[in-house]
Amino acid sequence: MKTGRAMGGPHVPGFRTTRRQAGVLVVFVLGLSLLPPWGSITASAQSVQVGTARNAIGSLVVVRPDGIEARLQTRGAVPLFERDVLRTEAASQALIELRDGVQVALNENTSFKLLSRWEKAKGITQIIRLSRGEIWVKTGEGAKRLEVETPVATAAVRETEFNIKVQEDGQTVLTVIQGIVEFGTAFGTCPIRASTISYGVRGKRCTPPAPTEVRPATTWADAVLK
Amino acid sequence: MKPSRSLSVIRGASVALSLLALAGCTELMQKDQPVLTSRIYVANESSNSVTVIDGATHKVIGTVEARNVGTHDLSLSRDGRWLFATNLASGNLSVIDTARLETIASIHTGSRSHVVTLTNDNRHAWVANIAEDNVSIVDTESFRILGTIPVGKGPTGLTFSRDGRFAYVSNQGDKTVSVVETASHRVIKTIPVGTNPHFLVLGPDGRIWGTNTGGQDIYVIDPATQDKLASIPVGPAPQQIAFGFKGMQGPNAYVTVSGLNAVVVITADPRNPRKLEQIDVGDRPNGIWANPEGTRIYVGHEGSHDLRVIDTGTGEVIATVPVGRKPIRVVVSR
Repeated sequence: MKTGRAMGGPHVPGFRTTRRQAGVLVVFVLGLSLLPPWGSITASAQSVQVGTARNAIGSLVVVRPDGIEARLQTRGAVPLFERDVLRTEAASQALIELRDGVQVALNENTSFKLLSRWEKAKGITQIIRLSRGEIWVKTGEGAKRLEVETPVATAAVRETEFNIKVQEDGQTVLTVIQGIVEFGTAFGTCPIRASTISYGVRGKRCTPPAPTEVRPATTWADAVLK
Repeated sequence: MKPSRSLSVIRGASVALSLLALAGCTELMQKDQPVLTSRIYVANESSNSVTVIDGATHKVIGTVEARNVGTHDLSLSRDGRWLFATNLASGNLSVIDTARLETIASIHTGSRSHVVTLTNDNRHAWVANIAEDNVSIVDTESFRILGTIPVGKGPTGLTFSRDGRFAYVSNQGDKTVSVVETASHRVIKTIPVGTNPHFLVLGPDGRIWGTNTGGQDIYVIDPATQDKLASIPVGPAPQQIAFGFKGMQGPNAYVTVSGLNAVVVITADPRNPRKLEQIDVGDRPNGIWANPEGTRIYVGHEGSHDLRVIDTGTGEVIATVPVGRKPIRVVVSR
C-alpha cells in the first residue's frame, strides 16, 4: 500500500479500483481486437454446419468423423459438417447445398469428404475431396472459393457450373457448363472454359480443353434437381 | 638520394592508400555480406508447436504454434523461408513463415499425416498419410492438393533420390519401401526391408538410408539397382539418421537409438560399416540433424523434452536446450 500511495498519490480506494478496472478492461479489449481471426475460425470449423443434404433418390449416407452414420432417403435437411464423408450406392443420387449457395449433386456410387483449407491471406477455401463417382456442381453468384480434389487433379472454381467424374485409377473427366474452372494436376494447370472438356490423368498434365456438348454430361442430375 | 627518397614516399603512400582501400573494402564486405547463422527447428508433438533455436548461440528464438494437433515432422524450403510441418493427430499440414515465425496456412492432407518432404525443386510437398496408405502432393505456392499416390500399408518415411527421379516411401504395415517414379507418380518397385521401417534419408553417397524402428538395424538402398544393399545392426529401436564428420574421419552416420538412449556412430560406407562410437544422450532420442558442415549434431529427446548439441569432433554433448513436449523431429537451415 505504501508503494501504491507513493506512486498513485492520495489513497482513494474506490477511485483506484475503478481506474484499475478500466485499465484492465482497455487492455482486455485491445488484446481481443489484436487477436487474429484464425483462432475463432479453427474453433468453429469443428462444429459449424458447412451445408445441408436436401434430397436423395435411394439413399445418401453421411459418415461423421467419429464413424456415426446419418441417412437421407427422400427430401429432408441433414446437417453437414467439416470432415463428413458422403456416399451414395448403386441406383442412388443426392443433392446437397453448401454455404454460399453452392449446389452439389451426387450421382450413384459416389463418395467424397467435406474439408476446408485455411490461409492467413485468403481465409477459408471449401474443399470437396472426391474419391470416386461423379458430381455436378453449381456455385452461386459471388460465391467464395471452392475446390474439388480428385486422386489425380484439382478443380478450383468461383462462379461456375461443372460436372466432374472420377474413373479407374483416379482419371478425372471435367466438363464445364458455365464459367471457367482452373483445372490442374501435379504436372500443370489448364483453364477450362464453358462447353469444353478436359481429362486429368495420373503422371500427366491435364489435356487441353476440347469442345463438347455439355448437356448429356449432366442429364443424370435432372431427377435429383427437381 | 632525392629520387629514391621520393620513390620511398610514393611507395609508402601507395601502401597506406592500399591498406586504407582494403580496410574500406573489408568494411564494405562485412556490411553487405549477410551473417550466416543457422536455425534449428524442433517439432514438439505433445505441445503442437515448433521451437526455433539460434544455431550459433543455442538460445531459443521463439516458439511457433502449429495451429494443429500432434506436430510431428518438418521440412524446410531450400531458401529457409517456409517450414512445412505435419500434424499426426489432426491430419493437417501447417505452413510456417520462418521470417515472421507464424503459421500461415493449414491444409488437410489425410488421416494420420506422418512425414513431409519437399521435392528437390521445392514445388511440391509430399506428405505420407499413415491411415490412408497414400502420399498427398501439395503445391507449395497455392497450397492446393494436386493428387495422391497410393503406396504400401502405413507409410511413415519419405525421401527423394539425388536426381529427383525417384521417391522412396517406407511402409510400416508392409515392412517395405515403395519406389515411386516421380515422372509417372507410380510405384515401380517394392523392396522388403525389415520390421516397422520408419525414417528415410538421402545419404551423402546418394544412397537411401532407413531405420527399422521395430528391429535393431538400419538399411541402405542403392538407387542404381533399387535393391537393399546392406543391413547394419545398431541397437534396439533405431529412429533417425544424420551424417557428419569426426575431424578428418567421415562422413559418418549418426543414428538415434531410442532403446539405448544413445547416438550410435558408424562409418557411412554400407559395404564396410564399422561402429565407431556410442554417445550417451538423454531419454529416448529421436530426431537428429547435422549442421551444414557436419561438425555439430542436434538430437531431440522424446523423454527428456530437450535438444542436445553434440560436437562431432569430441563426441561430447556441449549444450542442452529445453524445448516443447515430446520433440520428434529436428531440422536445421542450410
